[in-house]
Amino acid sequence: MAKISSRQLYFLLACIMPVGKLILMPTHLVYEAKNDLLIPAAVNILIQAGMIFLVMLLSRSNKQLYDMLEYTFGRVVAKVLTLLFSLFLFFAALFPLLEQKQLVQSVFYDTLPSLLVFSPFFIFSIYICATPISSFGRVWDLLAPISIVGFIGIMAFSIGSADFGALLPFGAAGTRAIVSAGAYTMSWFFDSALLLSLVGKFEYKKNMAWKSSLFYLLGGFAILLFLAVFYGIFEGLALRQSFAFSKMSKYFSAITALGRIDYIFIYALSLVMAYFCTLPLHAGVDCLNRALGGNKVATPLYSAGINLVMLFLMFLLDNNFQGANNLITKTLFWLFPLFCVLIPALCLLLRRSPREKRKVS
Amino acid sequence: MKSEKFRNFYKTVPLKLFVLLAAIVLIAFFSNDFGLVDIQKTAVILAVGLDKEDENYTVTAQIAVPKGSDRTTGGTSSVEITGEGRTVADGFGQIYAKTGWVPKLVFCNLIVVGEETAKKDVFCCLDYFLRNEYMSDNCLLAVCEGKASELLSSTSAIDDTSSLAVEKLFSDASEKSGKVMKNSLKDFSIAYYGPSHSSYMPYVRAIEQSASSGESTGGNTGGNGGGGSSGGQQTQEKVFSAQETALFRGGVMVALLNAQETFAFSLLESKIVAGTFTVQKEGKSTSMTVIEDKGSVELNMEGAPKATLSVNVRLRLYNRCSASPVEDISASTPTVYDLENANAYLNNCLALLVQKCVESDCDVLLLKRSLYRSSLKKYREWEQTLLQAVTPELKVTARGIT
Repeated sequence: MAKISSRQLYFLLACIMPVGKLILMPTHLVYEAKNDLLIPAAVNILIQAGMIFLVMLLSRSNKQLYDMLEYTFGRVVAKVLTLLFSLFLFFAALFPLLEQKQLVQSVFYDTLPSLLVFSPFFIFSIYICATPISSFGRVWDLLAPISIVGFIGIMAFSIGSADFGALLPFGAAGTRAIVSAGAYTMSWFFDSALLLSLVGKFEYKKNMAWKSSLFYLLGGFAILLFLAVFYGIFEGLALRQSFAFSKMSKYFSAITALGRIDYIFIYALSLVMAYFCTLPLHAGVDCLNRALGGNKVATPLYSAGINLVMLFLMFLLDNNFQGANNLITKTLFWLFPLFCVLIPALCLLLRRSPREKRKVS
Repeated sequence: MKSEKFRNFYKTVPLKLFVLLAAIVLIAFFSNDFGLVDIQKTAVILAVGLDKEDENYTVTAQIAVPKGSDRTTGGTSSVEITGEGRTVADGFGQIYAKTGWVPKLVFCNLIVVGEETAKKDVFCCLDYFLRNEYMSDNCLLAVCEGKASELLSSTSAIDDTSSLAVEKLFSDASEKSGKVMKNSLKDFSIAYYGPSHSSYMPYVRAIEQSASSGESTGGNTGGNGGGGSSGGQQTQEKVFSAQETALFRGGVMVALLNAQETFAFSLLESKIVAGTFTVQKEGKSTSMTVIEDKGSVELNMEGAPKATLSVNVRLRLYNRCSASPVEDISASTPTVYDLENANAYLNNCLALLVQKCVESDCDVLLLKRSLYRSSLKKYREWEQTLLQAVTPELKVTARGIT
C-alpha cells in the first residue's frame, strides 16, 4: 500500500487544515470574545499542536489505530471503538459541509437555490471517500501551493486596510467570554482526530513529531494573522461579517479600478476548502470500513451511503442553519475535546504489538 | 490488442475532455443565468435617498435606465422612483410594487440622508442597508440640505444623473484636496458602534445655476431623461457642493463643520496631498498648496487629560493676488512671512474644529477610542466627561518647499 510521505503530511498540517477555519470561525470568535478573538484561537491552536505531537509519537510504531485497539482490547471492542470514532468524524464533517454550502450560496451563486448548486459536491465527495486515503498525498502536494497563493493574495489585498489598534485593549472581553469563545470554537479544531485516523498510513521518520507540530503551528500562525487582519478591518462590525475571507480584500484601493480580481484568490482558497470538507468524511468512511470488516469492495458503498446521509441532512437543515450551528458548536461542543484531546492522549497507552500467545505445556 | 485499444483511447482523452468542458462552458454561457436575473425586471439602483416624516420613511431610488438610440451624449440616464412605508424595507417594497422591477442594491454607491432625518438617529434608516448581504458596505454616505428626494430628483448641470454628479465630489482627488471628507457605510457604522459613538458625513448643498438648461446648454437639453421638459418650460440646473461636514454623535447630526474646519479635519487625518488654502494678511491674499501632510491626534492622560493635535505640512506658493518678481514666481517657495501666516491660519482652523467638537460633544477626533484602547479602566472613568475636560494643544508646523 502506498504511504503518505512526510512532506505531504506537513503540507496537510500547514496549508490545508487551516483553511477550514477561515469561513465562519472568525465571526463565532468575535461573537464571544470580541477584540480578544486571538486569545481563544491561539489556545486552541496550541492544544492541537500538542495533541499532534502526541499522535505523532503514537505513529512511531507505524501501526494503524484499529490494529492498536485490537492488540489492546481485542477484536470486538476495537470494532466498537473504531465505529464510535468514525461516527464522531461524520459528526465533525457536518459543520464544515454546512459552512461550505452557506458559502457557495452567499458568495458565488446568490440567485440560485443553494441545495441545487451544492448537491453535485456530493458526487465529488463520494468519489474522494471511495479512494484510499493514503493515495491522497499527491492531492495535498497540489493543493498546498494553491492554498499558499490564495492566502497570500487575500492577505496582500487586505492587510493595508486593517487597523491593528482595534485589537486593543487586551483582555477587555473578560475571562469568561474568552473561555466561552475557546470552548464554542473547538468544533473547528478536530485536526488531531484527523491525524489519528491517518496513523500507520505514513512512514514515521526521525524528528517527525516535533516537525509536524511546528508545521501545524505555522498554519496556526497564518490563522492568527488572518484573524488579526479580519478584526482590524471590520472592528465592531466583524460580528456580521460571515465568510470573512471573501470580503476582506475588497477594500483594497486598486479593486475600484481593476474590479474584483481578488476573486482569483478567493476561488483558490475555496478549492482547497472543498477538499478540506471531504477530509473528515474520508477519514470516517475509512474507519467505518475497518470497523465493518475492512472489505475494499464495500468502500464505495459506504462512501455513497454516508454521502447520501449527509445530503439528506443538508436538505433537513436547509432552513435551520442557526439551530444546527448551536447544536454542534454549543450544545455538543464537549465531544470535540473528548475525541480530539482526551482520546488521542489516551491512545498513547495502547499496545503497539500483538500480545504473545501463552504456550500451553 | 487490448493495450493498443487502451492506448488509442488514452490518446483521445484530452480531446474528449476538451469537448466536454467546451460543452459545459457553452451551456453556462447561453443559460441566461437560468433566467433568475432578468435585467428587464431588475432595478439597478445607483443611489438611495432617505427621508423620514413622523413615523413614515420616504425612500427614493435612483434607478439606471437604458438610453434611447437617439442619444448622442455620454453618461447614464436614470429615473427616480419613490416608495413610502413604516420601514425602509416597506419603501423598497412599494417601489417594487409600483414598477415591477426587483430593487438591486449591488451597484448602489451612494446613500443620501435628508437633513431633518439626520437629526434623528440615522441608524433607523441605515439598519436596512447593514442587514443587506448583497449591498456593498463601501457605499458612500452623505447628508443633504433639505430633502434627499429633492436632491436626487434635481437636474445636475454636469451629469445626466444627479447621484453621479454628487459622487464626483467624493473622488479620491477631491478628498486629497481637503475640500471634502467622504465616509462609507462601513466606516460610519464602525465609529457608531465603537467607543467614540461619533462619526461624520459630507454635507451636500445643491446650488442653482444662474443660466437655465434651455438657454445655456443646448447640447444637454435632450439629455436629462425624465427631468427634461417640453413646451419651452425651463429646468433649473444645479451644481453640488460638499465642502461642509456633518458631525454625528450616537447617529444624530449634532453640528456642521464649515469649509475651513473640514480642511482642518482633513489635515488631521493626513488626507491632503494637493489641497490649497488662502490666507489673507493686510488686505493681500496668498494661496498655498499642501504638498505633504502629516496629522495626528494624541491623548495624554497623565494628570489632567490633554489632547495634542499635530499638523506638519510642507507648502508651495500657489498664487499671490499681487504682481511678484519673476524670481518669486519661478521659485514657488513661500517666504517666512507666508509661512507664519499659514501657521496662524491653520492654527485658527484647528481651534475652530476643536471648539465645535467640544460644543457638540462629538468625539470625531476619536479621543475616547484612543483612551479605550490604552486603558479600559480610565475609559470607564472618563467616558462621559472626556471631551469637556480635555485641554487641547495645537501644534502646527508649516514648512516651505526647498
